[in-house]
Amino acid sequence: MANLKTKLGIFELKNPIMTASGTFGYADEFEDFINVSKLGAIVTKAISINPKKGNTGERIFETTAGMINRIGLENVGVKEFIEKKLPVLKEKDINFVMNLAGSAFEDYIEAAKIADKNGIKAIEVNVSCPNVKQGCLEFGTMPGSLSKLTESIRKEYKGFLIIKLTPNVSDIESLALAAQNAGADCISAINTLKGLGVKIEILPDKTFKKSLVQGGLSGRCIKPVALSMVKRIKSVVKIPVIGIGGISNINDVLEFLSVGADCVQIGTENFTHPDVCEKIINDLDKLMNKLNIDNIEELKRKLRE
Amino acid sequence: MKKNHKGIVLYNEKIAKDTYKIVLKTDMKEAYGGQFISILCENKTLRRPFSIMDFNNGEITVLYKIKGEGTNYIKSLKKDDTVDFIGAMGNTFNYERIKTALLIGAGIGIAPMLFLKKELNKKGIKNFLITGFKEKDEIIEGSDKTVIGGSVVDYIEELNNELKPDIIYSCGPNIVLKLVSEFGIKNNVKTEVSMEKTMACSIGVCRGCVIEYKQNGQTVNKTVCKDGPIFDGDKVIWQI
Ligand SMILES: Cc1cc2nc3c(=O)[nH]c(=O)nc-3n(C[C@H](O)[C@H](O)[C@H](O)COP(=O)(O)OP(=O)(O)OC[C@H]3O[C@@H](n4cnc5c(N)ncnc54)[C@H](O)[C@@H]3O)c2cc1C
Ligand SMILES: Cc1cc2nc3c(=O)[nH]c(=O)nc-3n(C[C@H](O)[C@H](O)[C@H](O)COP(=O)(O)O)c2cc1C
Ligand code: FES
Repeated sequence: MANLKTKLGIFELKNPIMTASGTFGYADEFEDFINVSKLGAIVTKAISINPKKGNTGERIFETTAGMINRIGLENVGVKEFIEKKLPVLKEKDINFVMNLAGSAFEDYIEAAKIADKNGIKAIEVNVSCPNVKQGCLEFGTMPGSLSKLTESIRKEYKGFLIIKLTPNVSDIESLALAAQNAGADCISAINTLKGLGVKIEILPDKTFKKSLVQGGLSGRCIKPVALSMVKRIKSVVKIPVIGIGGISNINDVLEFLSVGADCVQIGTENFTHPDVCEKIINDLDKLMNKLNIDNIEELKRKLRE
Repeated sequence: MKKNHKGIVLYNEKIAKDTYKIVLKTDMKEAYGGQFISILCENKTLRRPFSIMDFNNGEITVLYKIKGEGTNYIKSLKKDDTVDFIGAMGNTFNYERIKTALLIGAGIGIAPMLFLKKELNKKGIKNFLITGFKEKDEIIEGSDKTVIGGSVVDYIEELNNELKPDIIYSCGPNIVLKLVSEFGIKNNVKTEVSMEKTMACSIGVCRGCVIEYKQNGQTVNKTVCKDGPIFDGDKVIWQI
């Protein structure tokens, strides 16, 4: 048996396979498909200070090798998460990261305080949310505001702080550096890419009917973008990096590790194959045994040679 | 109980215009009227949900209408091929304390109605199934009355007066479900409708398939895949 243990600074995982926010709920539903406690960690659905109802209308659009979603961060809110979901995660001994979303600066700070008070070991801050007070520009698109946000959260939260970057920027390096220098322990990337799904139907009266779904693109089609972002981020930061985007099998995981990821998160593929994470963990174990690789550090080193 | 399954195709044939019937041999232990399975289709990110039309000792029957790539893939499956699916997903029709039921199916919406009818018959609950199809060659057998052209909704009043049902169940396009629900409210008859929405996960985690619903005086989001697909017609907030 190879040792799959992965250390992201002070945050320890059984293996480098995590599930991505918004694609795994709060884990309970997946018990019908896999043994959830085998996972490295799960990242919860985004949690905001107040419950959010999300967007109305069509929320899902399938694309070639992927999908677009505009869920709109629907979630139960931090109070219900702490009261109802947290005890279940703890009782089942599921290693988890709490994903935070906000629509104003203060929302994040407030949520981080609550996470700290409740002894939550790790949080992942989704900075792809629009800042309502600043013309809905995303928090994570300008190094200045990202730095200020990270710094303020850092002051209130002592646990493992992950900043999840948005790929919808031109200079990912400066954002990664801003997060690191403001006190982040880790960077995860990428969140979804901005995309537009268009469907055109021809009606019996010879007119066109057009439906549009504007949202975040995810799934296998975004993998090359994600790999490129992870490589660029790793080239400038010293803190651990979590690779996310289009991972569907063990080869994809190796690709991410080879360009600098310390572990990975799997999102959309959980919809296609609800047992994908468990399968990848088993495949990784088999592969390492076959190649006589003892641990993840050694695997990463060999992949990066 | 694990919900990922492999099914072996026992039968996959055309039964009406653009309409096929597939029977899968599976290790699934139970399934009830209203529930669905989500089939993995080649080269598709999202699984395709289909109502269960019949379930017998692990044998699942599904009726499907050809739409796009997913259903064309299912059509291409041959006897003894393997199908990857998850199920049985979703909630079920409720017939506790029901003595008489009216069932309304529009088009391929007949599928869950046939399963429900079988369950009602087994329980000795009096029922009547009316279905409507656009054209004669689209007809799927199994109803007590079949309407061609026109709308099934035009017959509710008459059937309601004759049958005096405790409940009306329905599956079909949203417009039919909405009219059935409105009829129920106006005439004080309970309705249950089977809803459809594009699904990503089919298991209640992504919140991609929500509808707005009235609950305890509030408007809440309900997932079609997990809270549904069966909902009380009078509580659905229709978007059409
Ligand atoms: C609970 C439920 C039960 C259903 N039962 C049946 C049934 O018994 N028989 C039947 O023929 N059809 C049923 N459908 C509809 C069926 O799922 C779609 O016709 C099928 O997904 C079309 O796939 P496609 O790739 O062939 O077509 P596409 O060209 O991809 O899509 C055609 C249309 O199908 C719908 N659709 C596509 N993908 C999905 C998805 N992932 N989830 C939900 N809807 C989607 C959309 O409305 C889309 O516009 C059901 C849908 C739901 C939600
Ligand atoms: C339906 C859906 C919901 C998502 N919700 C969130 C969310 O609430 N918070 C977040 O940080 N990322 C969210 N994401 C983004 C994913 O966590 C992930 O970053 C992205 O999908 C890329 O990975 P993938 O290609 O493996 O899916 C969501 C993605 C999807 C598909
Ligand atoms: S399809 Fe994901 S919640 Fe229903």
